[in-house]
Amino acid sequence: MNGRGHDPVLDCRALTVGYGAEPVLSDLDLTVARAETVALLGPSGSGKTTLLYTIAGFLRPSSGEIWIAGTPVHAPGQEVPPEARDVGVVFQHYALWPHLSAVETVAYPFRRIGMAEGEARRRAQALLETMGIGELAARRPAELSGGQQQRIGLARALARNAGLYLFDEPTAHLDAALRTALQAEVVQRRGDAGAAALYATHDAGEALAVADRVVLLQGGRIVQIGSPADIYERPVDVWAARLTGPASVIEVDVTGTSPRGLRMRVAGDDVVVSDATAAPGRYMALVRPDWAALGGPLAGRMMHAWYRGPHTDYRVQTAAGDVVLRGSGPPRARPGEPVDWRLDRVHLINVEDHGRSER
Amino acid sequence: MSSTGRSSGVERTIWTAGPPSRWIGPLAAAAAFVLVVGVPLYELSSAGLALGWAGVADAFGRTGAARASFNTLWTAAVVTPAAIAAGTAAAMVTERSAVPGRRPLRLVVLLSLFIPPFVAAQSWASAYGPSGLVDDLLGVALPGIYGPVGVVALLIVDAVPLAYIIVVGGLASRAEPDLERAARASGATAWQAFGTVTLPLLKPALTAAGALVFITTINAFGVPAILGLPGGFVTVTTRIYRDLAFAADPASFTRVVVLAVSLVVVTLVTVGLADVLGALKGPATRTGAPPGGDATAGRRAWAPAAALWAYAAITGGVPLVALILTSLTRAVGLAPVPANWTLENYAEAVSAQSLEALTNSLLLAVAAATVALLLGGLLTSLRRHRFGRALGTSATLTFAVPGSALAVAVLLAYGRWLRDTLLLILIAYVAKFWAFGHRAIAASVEGLPPELPHAARASGAGAGATLRTVILPLLRPALVGAWLLVFVIAVHELTMSALLYGPGSRTLAVTILNAQQLGDITVTSALAVLLLLLVLGAAVPLLLIGWRRSG
Repeated sequence: MNGRGHDPVLDCRALTVGYGAEPVLSDLDLTVARAETVALLGPSGSGKTTLLYTIAGFLRPSSGEIWIAGTPVHAPGQEVPPEARDVGVVFQHYALWPHLSAVETVAYPFRRIGMAEGEARRRAQALLETMGIGELAARRPAELSGGQQQRIGLARALARNAGLYLFDEPTAHLDAALRTALQAEVVQRRGDAGAAALYATHDAGEALAVADRVVLLQGGRIVQIGSPADIYERPVDVWAARLTGPASVIEVDVTGTSPRGLRMRVAGDDVVVSDATAAPGRYMALVRPDWAALGGPLAGRMMHAWYRGPHTDYRVQTAAGDVVLRGSGPPRARPGEPVDWRLDRVHLINVEDHGRSER
Repeated sequence: MSSTGRSSGVERTIWTAGPPSRWIGPLAAAAAFVLVVGVPLYELSSAGLALGWAGVADAFGRTGAARASFNTLWTAAVVTPAAIAAGTAAAMVTERSAVPGRRPLRLVVLLSLFIPPFVAAQSWASAYGPSGLVDDLLGVALPGIYGPVGVVALLIVDAVPLAYIIVVGGLASRAEPDLERAARASGATAWQAFGTVTLPLLKPALTAAGALVFITTINAFGVPAILGLPGGFVTVTTRIYRDLAFAADPASFTRVVVLAVSLVVVTLVTVGLADVLGALKGPATRTGAPPGGDATAGRRAWAPAAALWAYAAITGGVPLVALILTSLTRAVGLAPVPANWTLENYAEAVSAQSLEALTNSLLLAVAAATVALLLGGLLTSLRRHRFGRALGTSATLTFAVPGSALAVAVLLAYGRWLRDTLLLILIAYVAKFWAFGHRAIAASVEGLPPELPHAARASGAGAGATLRTVILPLLRPALVGAWLLVFVIAVHELTMSALLYGPGSRTLAVTILNAQQLGDITVTSALAVLLLLLVLGAAVPLLLIGWRRSG
């Protein structure tokens, strides 16, 4: 069953988990549509795992409701146990059973729906073959690398043939190359199955890459929900900005509009930037490294250069505050030298918002 | 695994002494081991061999030995599965369900470890025996409490905490909550998850628990002595005790040797079997998931918690209350009401004789704990030597040797010179409890991150200063814990002291056993309460240490 009609696959309503003044999750509303991937992005301790475990049925919320595919699985007088919820789970630490081989592990969900052992093993083997890891069938977890273990974990979840998949930081314990490969695999398999996914991660790059929508979680509350581009270009506050990628914050005075964009005064010089509208006044301006560049009307002093291969990040000291900006190729200036720079784009944040996020 | 590499790193930099002292440690350890364990076990086995098959057949041909062996074996065969099942159930309740008051429940399950079995037996008799507390109040007495029914029931209750500890350890190290959650998320019901994931993962722990409970049960002495002997239900250990204490003919001594040797053989076979089944090694395959949390969704599980509290009340609470009431009552058979209360039993209990016994018990316990710790530390320091490792394994195996057999062996080896001295009992205690000191210290040395002593060395501390300023402070809780544990066990030890005591070396436990056998129930109860207070006085700091470490 892949969801009925137009009901969202997952619908969390005013979900609170834990008790007291500081519950782990408070008053959380979240929906996931059919075939949609939603990333849960937040630092450790923000409640990502708690949310996934509550949806899976491992934890019971203290209040609120959970609906999966139009059916309440947790509501007043209604509690569906984990095995009867239409979800597949991929665990952060793989959670492979040490006493079962890979094929036995993947056959496990088939066995639980009453399939005969031979048939279950055949289906499990076929699934492993599809994923290109058929040769691992006879191995136990102790004989598998981290990446292989998580592929088996993914296969086990897929064997559930569920309408909703929950991924709890599945790549957190893998090295960078494997992480990319497994990310691609997760996206492709989930897409093949046509199911929805909730994907928890603390890695902004991963969240922006895999998701249709990103949910920023802080202290058990949703800070922002939006498309990956929204989240990156228009963070609600400085905390959200820093969580979703590198960002500098400078002080600007908006003086008016011009046909090409917003006119503002930065460190004593007038500039016009695109993609912003605001009433005149003083603002905190968020600057992503790719929104500014070396060479231009503004003055500053080079403080540091980080050569990263395809590009170089420079920290430039200006009268409006330090700005990190990005240029292609190797470093073009040395620390201590005066440099010219330009500002192409900013995202304005109200001063009050800035104050709130500095808590 | 990395842990061995790590600990050997600690060893190399910290424990290695200079060349002159290189052989002093191993020689001292070897000498101690030969004196305390080697000579007695050699004497026992040569006495056994001297009898030959004819002697063995002859000993078993006599009614007593065969019946006692049969009783011991069937008792253990019943107690082992029952205690494992109950211990596993208790572990699942405290570790895997959302019980209210998890910590006090854990404590309550473990607390009975600190009640000496013979005191427990006596309090059961006070509670559930004829004209016991429950009989007085409700007119119900447990039929056959003096006999196989009472012996088996109490042996099960005594073994439950052992099984519980091992299963809890197995749950923590192998069966992480996420593995069960993965099963639930794969479509398994709670019971299916238990059957297909938890239970298979617990197999090594269950096998180890089975071996331990089996060995403990065939070695049990206090319970069959107090609940079995009055009803004529004799086991191997009580048979040995009777033959040594009350018979003087050579035939009964032959029987003692044969029974002691067969106890050792059965124990070693059990240990070997458990080893083959992998219970004693078993690769720990932690996946590293965060521990804790409830594997299954659940509102507060009041029903299992209530069941566990009720179990603790019935098996421990009510009997202890009965014991205390008995100790306060003027005479057996009187109702335990305030009108009949008196402190005379305590006045009578605190006689010159029992004070001497108390002194003996304390002296023995302090000496045994201290020597076991020193020798344990010595063995730990020799872990780099292949020879030291062999000694460590031997010390651990000695712990499995039944107390009755060990006592007979020590008596054979040193009885000629040391009969009726505390030293004779101390030798047996050290042989038996050495493993505690060794295990406790070795485990915490292994758990020590090698970076800590390395950092001390890199900060300019010498080997001695590192030991003093970094290693010992970190080991202190483990050392204090091990000392207290041996102290507690030695204070309530009865099996060996009942066989080895003489007029001048009576311990408090032996005094209680003798008073009980003379039928002086009220005074015996008063003595038992005093012993219990003594044990608890040492057990409370022990539990606090464990509490702090687990929290």
